[in-house]
Amino acid sequence: MDRKFTIVRYIAFGIEILILFILQSTPNLIPEVFGGRPLLLIPAAITIAYFEPEIPAMFYGIACGILLDLGYSEFPGFYTIMLGVICFLLGWVFRDYMVVSFFNATAFSAVIITGVIGINFLFFYVFAGKGEAGLYFLTHYVSKIIYTFLCGIVLYFINKGLFRSLLDY
Amino acid sequence: MLEFFSDKKVKIISITAAVIIVVMIMGAAGSPILSSGVNFLTKGLSQVSASAAGEGEKTYDELLEENKALKKESADLRTQLVDYYDIKEENARLWKYYKIKKENADYEIMPASVIRRDASQDFYSFSIDVGTSNGVHNQDPVITDLGLIGFISSANAVSSKVTTILSPDLQAGAYDKRTNDSGIVGGSALYADDNKTTLTKIDANAKIKKGDIITTSGIGGIYPENLIVGKVTDINYDKYDATKYAVVTPYENIKKVTDVVVLTNFKNKGEIKRISEKEKN
Repeated sequence: MDRKFTIVRYIAFGIEILILFILQSTPNLIPEVFGGRPLLLIPAAITIAYFEPEIPAMFYGIACGILLDLGYSEFPGFYTIMLGVICFLLGWVFRDYMVVSFFNATAFSAVIITGVIGINFLFFYVFAGKGEAGLYFLTHYVSKIIYTFLCGIVLYFINKGLFRSLLDY
Repeated sequence: MLEFFSDKKVKIISITAAVIIVVMIMGAAGSPILSSGVNFLTKGLSQVSASAAGEGEKTYDELLEENKALKKESADLRTQLVDYYDIKEENARLWKYYKIKKENADYEIMPASVIRRDASQDFYSFSIDVGTSNGVHNQDPVITDLGLIGFISSANAVSSKVTTILSPDLQAGAYDKRTNDSGIVGGSALYADDNKTTLTKIDANAKIKKGDIITTSGIGGIYPENLIVGKVTDINYDKYDATKYAVVTPYENIKKVTDVVVLTNFKNKGEIKRISEKEKN
């Protein structure tokens, strides 16, 4: 089997992650909607994991996690560990037990994005005692979760297209 | 004899000789009429021919060499022009902070630019392009010419993260410049989105009012004294105790700030530690 498309695909996903990191972290670039901005690297890692085997998926999860932690994390390694584990499991589940469909992908994305951002809020806002947690969650985190999820739908189609066009036959 | 001079050829030669002799005599007497006339008539032509002869002196290789040298000079000048614009921009930025340094000679400052505002950062925290290799350390105050912005919450070799005064993580001693009423500056989820912070733990009898200017007290030794925090825009009572709190609007738009200065050192930095040691003695 010719593996050149696999290598090109890996590079393409890598470039995509870097571009999303720059988009996500550039000041005043992505507009705030109801107090929230999307965490593009979470859906990027998840949607790549739908199509890749578990080990590459895990490495993409770790790469996205490192960049998220680099951006700003109260606990360095939080996103790295979370996304590494989640992407490994997604890669494994979607390779052996489930079919990648739009419905499955959006359902998993919704749960995972809400879970990751919610756990982050719980540990580093609520437990840190920053105050007015309910208000802050409603005014910033709900919009952040929805915004991230919607970007995830776009990224799903982008990564699906990339995967199919750069698949080894 | 007359026959000889009547010949046409002889006449021409004789007249020519006579003219030459006259001109020679005049030239000898100091009147260069011939040379002036000739120069007048031939000057323009001489200039063109001289210049043509001058250019013609260079060979093809020499011209090629000269062309290369000119191209190099042009490239150097372009580079210098780019450097000039960079320096001009930096100069404008540094000039902005010159007055900070001028008014506070004890400040050691490190100008910085905002490089990241990640979506995962709460309370408009951001990252800047200077780190420990530039002399920046954790807890260093971050300011602009309009006042306090925040503090360094995490610094690595090349960049640092800044927690802003809109965040509850920042706690700084501050007081009302007019009434000397003191309190603690710290952000709140209620006001952060409006680019506002709060001065809490103000005595219920304090005379603080709207429009007052709040500055740092410098008591903690983390922030220097008299750094402007902002202007009081509202006063409320704390719902949990018998104190008041003031809503303070910074003069700088912290949500959009792009250039800041880190105070790497200042007079009385870490003063609280020295006071404790004195008290111990």
